[in-house]
Amino acid sequence: MLKLDGVCKSYGSREVLRNLTLTAYPREVYGLLGPNGAGKTTTINLICNLLERDRGRIEFNQQPISAATKSLIGIAPQQNLLYQSLSCQENLNFYAQLYGLNKQHRKEQIAWCLDAVQLRDRARSIVANLSGGMQRRLNIAVALVHNPELVILDEPTTGLDIETRYEIWSLINKLRETGITIILTTHLLDEAEKLCQRLGLLKSGQIIAEGTLETLKKSIPAEEIVMIKTQEKEKAIQRGQELGLTPRRYGNDLAFWLPQAQDLKTIMDKFTGIPLDSLSRESIRLEHIYLEMMQQSSI
Amino acid sequence: MKYWRETIAVAQRILLELGRRRRSLIFWGIFPITILLLNGFILAERANLSTAEAFTNAAPVTLVGAALFFSCLGGSVATVVAEREQHTLKRLFLSPLSGLSYFLGIFVAHACIGIGQGILVYLVATLFGAQIEQYWLLGLLIILMSIAAYVGLGFILGTQLARRTEDVNALVAAFGVPLLILGGTFLPASLFPESLLNIAKFNPIYHMNQALLGIWAQEESLSQVQSHLLFLMIFSLVMVGGGWLSYQGMLVRERRL
Repeated sequence: MLKLDGVCKSYGSREVLRNLTLTAYPREVYGLLGPNGAGKTTTINLICNLLERDRGRIEFNQQPISAATKSLIGIAPQQNLLYQSLSCQENLNFYAQLYGLNKQHRKEQIAWCLDAVQLRDRARSIVANLSGGMQRRLNIAVALVHNPELVILDEPTTGLDIETRYEIWSLINKLRETGITIILTTHLLDEAEKLCQRLGLLKSGQIIAEGTLETLKKSIPAEEIVMIKTQEKEKAIQRGQELGLTPRRYGNDLAFWLPQAQDLKTIMDKFTGIPLDSLSRESIRLEHIYLEMMQQSSI
Repeated sequence: MKYWRETIAVAQRILLELGRRRRSLIFWGIFPITILLLNGFILAERANLSTAEAFTNAAPVTLVGAALFFSCLGGSVATVVAEREQHTLKRLFLSPLSGLSYFLGIFVAHACIGIGQGILVYLVATLFGAQIEQYWLLGLLIILMSIAAYVGLGFILGTQLARRTEDVNALVAAFGVPLLILGGTFLPASLFPESLLNIAKFNPIYHMNQALLGIWAQEESLSQVQSHLLFLMIFSLVMVGGGWLSYQGMLVRERRL
């Protein structure tokens, strides 16, 4: 179990983490979400003992994070940190050696990792000759080679095609089933929704909401959301407000929060007289919760 | 055991990477042989020495002055810079690898390359009748101290001055070529004018060359090469210490994802 309790970190006078508290359990993918600059990377640096915290406690399996806990943690950073002129197998072997695995154990772990990331047939391929998706998978394999109990995946699917993304999602699910704790950071909210058992929304160095998707949904006073595209936005907002609906702007779209689910005809009737380009009804998703929490915006 | 295991892992990795870049290996072989042949034949002709004597005198300076300079100094700068450019350094910081093992790993890898070059230089020199006169082990120690000094200096340059791979050549050329000439690598120091010789005494490559030349080619006694050995020993220690401090400085700067 990973536990951060009241962690604070500043760079000079800039406070990056403020009293950060979170817990991630075994057999769980914990999604750490937040905009750029929210403090996700600093949090990862602290968990990996690459940075010193100013205050607070960080423990993994009731052990304070220190140089000694390094071998319990595996991390797949955003960038693929691989030796380009070595093969997949050689990259894995090098890191396995650094983590002190003996020859037999190394052989088994390398085989397991290559299988897990579906690179068995490319074991001897030079990294520079692999596709971006393969390099990404190898980057994850390196994080797993020493059999860590906590794995941190920092935006593991950014920039990947949909097929590779599905492969990595499937790998993450398989890893979770082995009983390890996974911390996942991502900007892809559908990914977080699909993979994470619990989520922590980080804003300005603080967790502003935490829990399962269902718990987070309950914190939103709506059951459904209506998305409208119209040239006459102001009119539509005014109409919505008259009917007691809470309006939101999502880019060019206009959204209204519905406290209770309603059928489409009833909704359309509400906007009679306003020329609509499109109208759709959606159930509340993480994306909506995230935007609500982050923007706390009202029109 | 941990340090040994990590050192070997780092050294193996560097040698594997080098093995993949066969061209570099070939150049590192061609370079000392070319310098040896040029030095040997020029010495034989201009100093009126037999070919065997000329090559006996040309081999030590070719090895420590030229071959090790480019492979061990240039190589260690390139290793550190490439590691930083590929960002693999960050992953090393995440692992339990100790800084000492990292440094030793780079030293061991370059020592292997240096010893390989030494064997090559002396194989070719032997073909022309060259001989190692005496003090085999002391000669090896001079070679190892030279490698340590070059690797230490490589760490300093690689962490402090070279930001990108392209910087390596310019850096090695700017610092190296004048030092090599002044060290008696291409032109025997005995031909230097007095004023230049006085400056050369501050050049570590001059002392490396003179120490190995003295014992392996000119049958000098230990007391005759003592000052060179002392200079080299102090220089190696300072460079290793400086390299270590530079590495610690790099840790502070780069130790973040």
